[in-house]
Amino acid sequence: MAKKNARSQEEVKSEMDMSPMIDCCFLLLMFFIVNAAQITVSKDPSVNMPHAVSASEMKDANGCIVVNVFADPEIMSAKNAKALEKYNKAYAPGTIWGVADANQNSIGYNKSQAQELTDFITKQREAMEAKGVKPEMIRLYLRGDADAPWERSSGAIRAAAAAGVTNIVFGTLPAE
Amino acid sequence: MARHKKIQAPEEEEMTSNISSMIDCCFLLLIYFLVATSLVSEKKLDISIPPPSDGSSSKKPKVDPGNIYVTKAGVVTWNEGLTVGEAYDPSLEPGTPAYLQQRQMESLVESLKMLKDQADSVDTTPVVMLHGAAGAPHQRIVDVMAALSEAGIHSVGLSTTSDE
Repeated sequence: MAKKNARSQEEVKSEMDMSPMIDCCFLLLMFFIVNAAQITVSKDPSVNMPHAVSASEMKDANGCIVVNVFADPEIMSAKNAKALEKYNKAYAPGTIWGVADANQNSIGYNKSQAQELTDFITKQREAMEAKGVKPEMIRLYLRGDADAPWERSSGAIRAAAAAGVTNIVFGTLPAE
Repeated sequence: MARHKKIQAPEEEEMTSNISSMIDCCFLLLIYFLVATSLVSEKKLDISIPPPSDGSSSKKPKVDPGNIYVTKAGVVTWNEGLTVGEAYDPSLEPGTPAYLQQRQMESLVESLKMLKDQADSVDTTPVVMLHGAAGAPHQRIVDVMAALSEAGIHSVGLSTTSDE
């Protein structure tokens, strides 16, 4: 009889306590959800971002009109061959400004298409205002390549100013 | 008595909910956000362009405006006299001490802070103009913007000059 009792005790199922793992999992999930909210600005991989020593966190991407400014293809290929490959796939030769439309399709503009860029920014601004975004929150998010000449960046800023957007955000990466 | 005991036994079993499907969902979401998130997130430098003047105001500003010049080679000068940044070297690797040193322009930050203090003392906003050569590298303009941001100046006039 005593033997039987001992055997029945041995047969008790050993279960792993899953609750700490689930807790950890939820914490990680929340961390990544919060971080993912920041990254709503479409990023073009062809742009080699500049670095800045003092820059603030991008907390809210709402109201940002993203314009990518490209360097010359020769410089792009010297630094990152994949970047040039992606640039050639997405844009026509001679493209210096790149934007993405509502369906995330890439649109490129060359040096002589500053007016078309202005029209695009105007449309974006009007669409954002119609959605209820405050005018002071509508900003040009300039993702300029570190090696792009200043005249291209200033051209994009001029186009934005002509479209009624005077707040500029320079996209950078931390220098350290 | 024996009959009564037999009926009670199954009722005493612990009720446990099956959470394995919830954990599966949770893991799927975790993997999705892990892939969608890049930890090195982009930072920003906010600058606003001053509104255009109609030319009717002939008032002299209370504080002399500060002028920053960036040449095609990336040399930065303050008020046409003081060189505050050496020529841009695109071969430097990001993250190296030499690269960091090139990004920092302490003397420009100091000059800008002095200008801001002067403007604050007479209760006005500092006026800064950035004259960039057409071929000046964008990185050098961002360096100047970072210096302006460090000095607490968020409004700057921009102009493009010829490469000469």
